Amino acid sequence: MHASPLRLAALGLAAALAMSACAGTTAPGTSTAPSATPAATAANAPVTGGTVTIPIGADPTLNMWSPNAFVESLFINRVLFDGLTRPGKDLAPAPDLAESWTTAADGLSWTFKLRSGVKWSDGKAFSADDVAFTFNDVVLKPDLGAQNRASYAAVKSVTVVDPATVRFDLTRKFAALPSFLAYNAGILPKHILSADPLKTVSFNKGTPVSTGPFKVEKYASGQSVALVRNESYFGPKPYLDRVVFTVVADPNTQIAQALSGDITIMILDNKAAVDRVKSASGLVVASRPLVQYYWLALNQTDARFTDVRVRQAFVHAIDRQAIIKSVELGYGSIANSPITPALAAYYDPSLASKYPYDPAKAKELLTQAGWTPGPDGVLQKNGQPFKFTMDVGQRGVLEPVNALIQQDLKKVGVVVDLNTMEWNSYIQKDVVRREYTATVNWWTYPSDPDVFPYYHSSAAGKGFNIPGYQDPKLDDLLVQGQSASDLESRKAVYKQLQAYTSETLPYLFLWYPQEIDVLSSSLKGVPELGLRDAMHYIGEWWLSKK
Amino acid sequence: MIVFASALTFFFVNLAPGGPASVMRFDVTAEQREALIKRMGLDRPVEQRYAEWLAGAVRGDLGTSLLTDETVVQRIGERLPNTLTLAGTALLLSVVLGIPIGLIQALRRGTPVDHLLSLFSAIGLSVPVFWLGIVLILLFAVSLHVLPSAGVTSVASDTLVDRLTHLVLPATVLATTVLPTIVRFMRSATIEVLHEDYIRTAASKGLAPRAVVSGHALRNALIPVVSAVGALVPRLLGGTVVTEAVFSWPGMGRLALEAAQGRDYPLITGLTVVVAAIAVLASLIVDLAYTRIDPRIRLA
Repeated sequence: MHASPLRLAALGLAAALAMSACAGTTAPGTSTAPSATPAATAANAPVTGGTVTIPIGADPTLNMWSPNAFVESLFINRVLFDGLTRPGKDLAPAPDLAESWTTAADGLSWTFKLRSGVKWSDGKAFSADDVAFTFNDVVLKPDLGAQNRASYAAVKSVTVVDPATVRFDLTRKFAALPSFLAYNAGILPKHILSADPLKTVSFNKGTPVSTGPFKVEKYASGQSVALVRNESYFGPKPYLDRVVFTVVADPNTQIAQALSGDITIMILDNKAAVDRVKSASGLVVASRPLVQYYWLALNQTDARFTDVRVRQAFVHAIDRQAIIKSVELGYGSIANSPITPALAAYYDPSLASKYPYDPAKAKELLTQAGWTPGPDGVLQKNGQPFKFTMDVGQRGVLEPVNALIQQDLKKVGVVVDLNTMEWNSYIQKDVVRREYTATVNWWTYPSDPDVFPYYHSSAAGKGFNIPGYQDPKLDDLLVQGQSASDLESRKAVYKQLQAYTSETLPYLFLWYPQEIDVLSSSLKGVPELGLRDAMHYIGEWWLSKK
Repeated sequence: MIVFASALTFFFVNLAPGGPASVMRFDVTAEQREALIKRMGLDRPVEQRYAEWLAGAVRGDLGTSLLTDETVVQRIGERLPNTLTLAGTALLLSVVLGIPIGLIQALRRGTPVDHLLSLFSAIGLSVPVFWLGIVLILLFAVSLHVLPSAGVTSVASDTLVDRLTHLVLPATVLATTVLPTIVRFMRSATIEVLHEDYIRTAASKGLAPRAVVSGHALRNALIPVVSAVGALVPRLLGGTVVTEAVFSWPGMGRLALEAAQGRDYPLITGLTVVVAAIAVLASLIVDLAYTRIDPRIRLA
């Protein structure tokens, strides 16, 4: 196994930072609100003007439905394109291109009333036809392979009721539709994209026609994408003059650019650098909750892992608090269900202490399941040692996390080999072919507790149900959640779902990460959301005069 | 030779595990994967795809990038000038500094000056490029604020001065991958030449030492150095991969990294063809340079 240049670079930076770092003492998890800085003296009223610069890792694809729109495209596309809804500041769906929405009595359709007077950045009028085009001719066309189309499996078609009204007709009840439409579901211009809507280079890599508060001024490949105000925007005029996304491939260079004042706001992926950034003048650090959780999937085609006592034993055996402390520097909390604390209306905090770190309890559960220590201390059953391989994708914190889990399982007599793989090959082996025994990864999902695609038995083996867990009772809860349309009954279903998944452990839940954002102290008006969600509110951001 | 390189690359990258990034992502279903593979034409046999690619390539069409749907020619065309600027500056810097340093070391052989410069060469060869890059960024961009940390121009001002200041750090870092080798070649070649009979003859004729070196030794010592420079071009282009990543330099090195990670088969093949062509061209230029330096070699 060889170390990648970027990883070595990270070590180099860590060394360089260690030489110059002042010891930071702020406890992790305490959020420093950007507005609380003394620098903003009298100027609490927003002012117009200025440029905000945001780093991205690679050239973006300016079409969120393109299968080539990767994580680097999320920021900019959420600025350029509006959906029917957007995530509210409480993450519940809020109006965007749609003003209001209602579901039919039978739950088999949703009707959206569109905002009037909306124009595309080229001055043409936006209408219900654009919405119908986006779904009927792009998302729902199977041969185009549009990104995220799996989220709309329940949508039959979209009908234009009148120029200001659309109806989504469904094959089954889908209570989460307004939330899903807030998540990377921008509406595309029919009058521009009729030819090949996902492969129009002048759009995806040039100057697309859009409805958001800013529009593309210049796309310089490998360098930057500069945005200016969209004068046709329907909402209040944004305070900022320009927003520039600079392509900075190396995360350590991103940090250096933040320190040198070239970057206004960014996500700090390398949390090890947080103390160095905190000690820098002119920068503010903020932690934000995310709709994301890490998990360990145990392939359910392996008979050893179908015993729930084995799964529960593993969760007791893994010191998750130590993982959070070590790889997240404390920015995270223990997970025991797929519903994250960011979804505050649904999250059940009482489950947080369900599986304390307890190797003795783990051994006891494993003994109950028939695994007893052999002469070498390794557990065995019917003469077979408890031994398996975990595949490790080279991305983010996965490598150190797997090493910690390996050590923890060794302490209870389970032997794990780690097979580290380059990301692309890893996806092919573990996700496409499902040729794996155990693996750690994470899910990020729309801001709604409808986790049907990741847990339903119909998604086992080929969809997003990675462990291939199948359970009629869980299926039933998932369908109930999609069918219950009012908030209170949904809350009740998803409380049950959290309790049930924490007991049965379809995936072994590890932790809910938090995001660390680094902001210039002159940047104001950024809502306390994950930065990717805060992009929906860029019209409210402003820069104080220094 | 270029056709051979393209065939080798085409088949190897297609046989590598994984697939195009749009297919090898976590949040894509089996049904979507199938549709995408069909859309990219990757459901057809490799031999057939290579034959089609080659038929296009001879007409100057290197195919379409799987990651962006732009033509490969366009994608490389955008990046090639940046890489040539960076690699050319680094090479120029290495030659302009390397030849006099090597010469000084040869003339001052065994003195503290020689040892000190040899030490610098050894450090230059052994320090990893990315580490040096980050340290220089922290020093000149973060602490001293005298040079930009990344990119080829500022977003706001695109002037010649601005471009040159952006070039300083990456070109310096990239030069460290070849400069020490040029210095070593120059030093050993000069030492060797200084022992030749004609140098002794020239010196015994009563020529001033300066005239001996500049008139007789330098010209002869340059011959092996020039051939070394030709051989260093591929290493230099390899060095751009890391240098461009650290300094966000929009060149072919970064493009190659993205193409490899995203399994953009046509783009990888196109890049290989272009780099192979550059290497061939470089050795041709070296051959031509010989005839200038050494009058005994003349074009037939």
